Amino acid sequence: MYDLHLASEQLEIRETVRDFVAREVKPFAIKSERLEALDRALPLPLLDKASQLGLRTLALSEAGGGAGADTLTGCLVAEELAAGDPDLAAVLTETSCLGQVLFDRVMTSAQRDRFLPLFGEDDRFHLALADREPDHDPSLGADYHRPVAREPAIRTRAVRTGSGEWILNGAKDCVANAPLAKLFVVTVTTEPQADGDGIASILVPRDAPGLTVTPHEEKDRWFHGACGALTFQDCRVPAQYFLDGNVAREHARLSEPIAAAINLGIGRAAYEAALDYSGLRIQGGRRIIEHQAIGTKLAEIAIRLTVARNAVWQAAWAADHPEACDGGSLPDLPLAAIARVFTAEAVHRAAKDAAECFGAMGVMRDMPLQKYVRDALISLHQGGGPTEAKLEIAEALAGFRRAPAVSARAAE
Amino acid sequence: MDFALNEKQREWQAKARRFAREEIRPLSLPRDDIADPRETFDRDIIVKGSKLGFRTMAVPKEWGGHGTDFVTQAVVMAELAKADSAISKTFSQCWKWSHLIAAVCTDEQKERFLKPFLADDLYLLGKGISEPSAGSDNRLPPEDDPKAGLKLRGERHGDEWILNGEKCFIANGSVGKLFFLDVRTNPNAPLRQGTTMFMVPRDTPGFRIGKVFNKSGWRFYQNAELIFENARVPHANIVGEVGGAVKKSGGQGGDTTGGDLFGDLELAANALGVCDDACEQALNHARTARQGGRPLFDQQVIQLKLNRMHMLTEALRSFVMRIAWEHDQKIHSANPGLAMNFSTDVIQEVTELYMDVVTGPGCRRNHHADKLTRDAMIWSHLAGDSVQRMKVARRLAKAVA
Repeated sequence: MYDLHLASEQLEIRETVRDFVAREVKPFAIKSERLEALDRALPLPLLDKASQLGLRTLALSEAGGGAGADTLTGCLVAEELAAGDPDLAAVLTETSCLGQVLFDRVMTSAQRDRFLPLFGEDDRFHLALADREPDHDPSLGADYHRPVAREPAIRTRAVRTGSGEWILNGAKDCVANAPLAKLFVVTVTTEPQADGDGIASILVPRDAPGLTVTPHEEKDRWFHGACGALTFQDCRVPAQYFLDGNVAREHARLSEPIAAAINLGIGRAAYEAALDYSGLRIQGGRRIIEHQAIGTKLAEIAIRLTVARNAVWQAAWAADHPEACDGGSLPDLPLAAIARVFTAEAVHRAAKDAAECFGAMGVMRDMPLQKYVRDALISLHQGGGPTEAKLEIAEALAGFRRAPAVSARAAE
Repeated sequence: MDFALNEKQREWQAKARRFAREEIRPLSLPRDDIADPRETFDRDIIVKGSKLGFRTMAVPKEWGGHGTDFVTQAVVMAELAKADSAISKTFSQCWKWSHLIAAVCTDEQKERFLKPFLADDLYLLGKGISEPSAGSDNRLPPEDDPKAGLKLRGERHGDEWILNGEKCFIANGSVGKLFFLDVRTNPNAPLRQGTTMFMVPRDTPGFRIGKVFNKSGWRFYQNAELIFENARVPHANIVGEVGGAVKKSGGQGGDTTGGDLFGDLELAANALGVCDDACEQALNHARTARQGGRPLFDQQVIQLKLNRMHMLTEALRSFVMRIAWEHDQKIHSANPGLAMNFSTDVIQEVTELYMDVVTGPGCRRNHHADKLTRDAMIWSHLAGDSVQRMKVARRLAKAVA
C-alpha cells in the first residue's frame, strides 16, 4: 500500500489557512514596510487571528483544548503560513509544538492545571524554549565521527532553597519567541559543579522576579519569527515548576519537519510570484513564460519544490508513524534532517531563480522577491547550516554512535 | 606571455588599495545600513576619490585626463570594489561614459562636456536606457516585434528636440550631472534604427528626478527614475547621428567605444574585487575562529569551501585580466560578455560560501557577509540573466558567420 491521500480534515485545515493567508496575511506581508529587512515588527493582530483559528494550539491534544494535529498536518499549516509570512509561521509553530510537548507529555497534572487554562484562553500566550547558552556552539563540526562525548555546556544553574523554591542564575541566547512568550521552559543544571550532569528543565513565567528578556535587534535578525536573550539574576520560581523529561530533545524531534515546511512556504511564495509575473510581463513580443529561458527556469523551480515537499511530507509522516521504520517501510535514516537540508538548498536556489524572472525588480526592497531570497538564505543557515546537517546525516549513515553525553544519560 | 603589471599600473593599484582600505572601507557597512535610499550616497568620498584621479582616470591625456589603459582600469575597479562594490561602480560608471565621449563626441561637444566633467569633483555621469516596460527588449530586441524596446519619445522642433517619457533604474540618477540618453526618435522604426543618443545635462528644463530605487544590494549606488516632460535638448547634443544610438553604445556585435565592452569588463572586474574581499575575510575567519576547541580551519569541510572560493576567484581574475589586455590590444570578441556572465556565477557562489564559512549556529546576521550576498544579487539582472547569456551566444555565432 502506498497512499498519498490527505485526510479530509487535513485538506480542510489547509484550505482554511490558505484562505486566511490570502485574505489577511498576504496583503500585510507585501506592504513595503514589511519588506524592509531593517525593521520588521511582528504582526500581533494577525497572530491573534491565527490563534482564534486554532493555529497557536494546533498540535495540542483535543483533550487539552487544541486540535491534536499530527506532524504532517503541522507541516501543511506551516507551509501555508510561511507562504504568507515566515515570521508568523515560526512564532505560531513554535508555540504549537511546545504546547504539545509541555501539556501533553511532560507536565504533571498539577502543572497542567496551573498553566493550561491560562494558555488556552489567552490568544497572546506564547511559549518559548530557553536552551542555548550565550557563546556556546552546539555544532557537531570538529567532533564529526570522533568518539568524544559532547557536552551540552549548560551553565544556567538552579539551586533549591530550604523552602523548596528554585533560584536560577545564568543567561540564555537565541531563544525563539522570547520577545512575546508568557512562559519559558529553561534548561538548567542543578549540580553545583558544571560537569554536565543534573540537566533539568524548569518552567519560568515571564513575570518571575529576576528574569530579564532582551529582544534581539531587528536589523541584526538572522532567524524567522522573534528571538531574544534572557538573563536570570536570583530568579525565583516555586518548587512545583520543576519538569521531568527532556523538553529540548522532544522539541527538536517535533520541530525539525516543521522548520523544513516553513522553508518550503518561502519557496512557494517565490514560485507563485514568478509564475504570476511571467504570465503578465511582456518582453520579446510575448509573455516571458513563453520564452524557453524563463519556461525552463520556472520548471526547475517547480521540480525543486515538488521534490522538497515529498521529502518534508515523508519526514513528517515518519515522525507520526515511528513504527513504519521498524517494519521496513521507511529507511532508518534521519529523514527530517535529510528533508531540511534538501529543502533549504532547493528553496534558496528556487528563490534566486524566481527573483531573476523579475529583472531589476527582483532586488528592490519594495518588492517581495529580495525578501524571499533573504528568507531562504536565513533558513539555509538555521541549525548550523547545510554542512552541519550533512555531518549529522553522515554519522547516521555509518551507524556511528557516540558515547552519550552525561546529560542525556541523566535525562533517560 | 607576461602577466606582470608595469610600474605605472602598480602605482595605480597601490593608490587604489590605500584609498579603498583607508577611506572606502570604513564607510561601507554604515552606508549599507541606512534605510532611506536617498541618504546612502556620500559626496565626500566622491570628492576625495576624484582628487586622486579615480573619477577621471579613463579620460585621454590630450583632454586632460589620466589616459589609463584597460588593465589599469580593471585593477583599480577590483581594488575599490574590494572595499565597497557600489562605491567602485559609482566611479567606474564615469569611466564608461568618458570612453564614449572621447571616442565619438565632436571636439565642440568635448569642449562643452568633457571640460566641466574634468573640472568638477562632483560631476558624475549616467546613461539612460531602461524603461518600465523595456528592459530585456533593449538588450535583445525581438525581430518579430519592431516596436518593442524603449519608448521615450524625441521630436525635432527646429534646432531643439522635445523629449517626453521616463527612464528607470538609471545609474547615478539622483546625483549625475550629465546623462547619455537613448531616445526613440523614430517610433516606426525598429530599436536599432529608430534610436538616437542625446547628452542631457541635469539642469535641462523639463527634466526631473523621480524616485530613487530602494535596492537590497549596492545601496550606495543611486539608481533613479528620470522623468522628461517636454524637456528641450539642443540638436547639438546628439551623440553621433540621428538613429545611431545603438551602434554607439554597443549593439549586438559589440562596439569599440566603451559602451558594452567596457561595461562587461566593468562588472567582471568589480565582481573580482568583491570575491577577493570574501576570500580574504573567510580565510581570516577560518584561521582565527575556533570550533570544538580547534581552529575552524582544521576542518576538511572548511578547507574545501576555502579552496572553491579561491579557485573560482583566481579563475575570474585570469579571465578579467585577459579581457582587459585584449581591450588594450584592440582584440574584440565575445570574451568580455562571457567573463561578465561568469562573474555572476562566481560572485554569487563565492559570497554564499563566505557566508557559509562565517555563519555559525547563531541567530544574528553577519553584516559584512549579508551585504556581500545582497550586492552579488545585483549581478543576476545586470550581468548574468538569460538574456545577457543569449546575447553573448549571438555574438559568438556572429563571429563565425
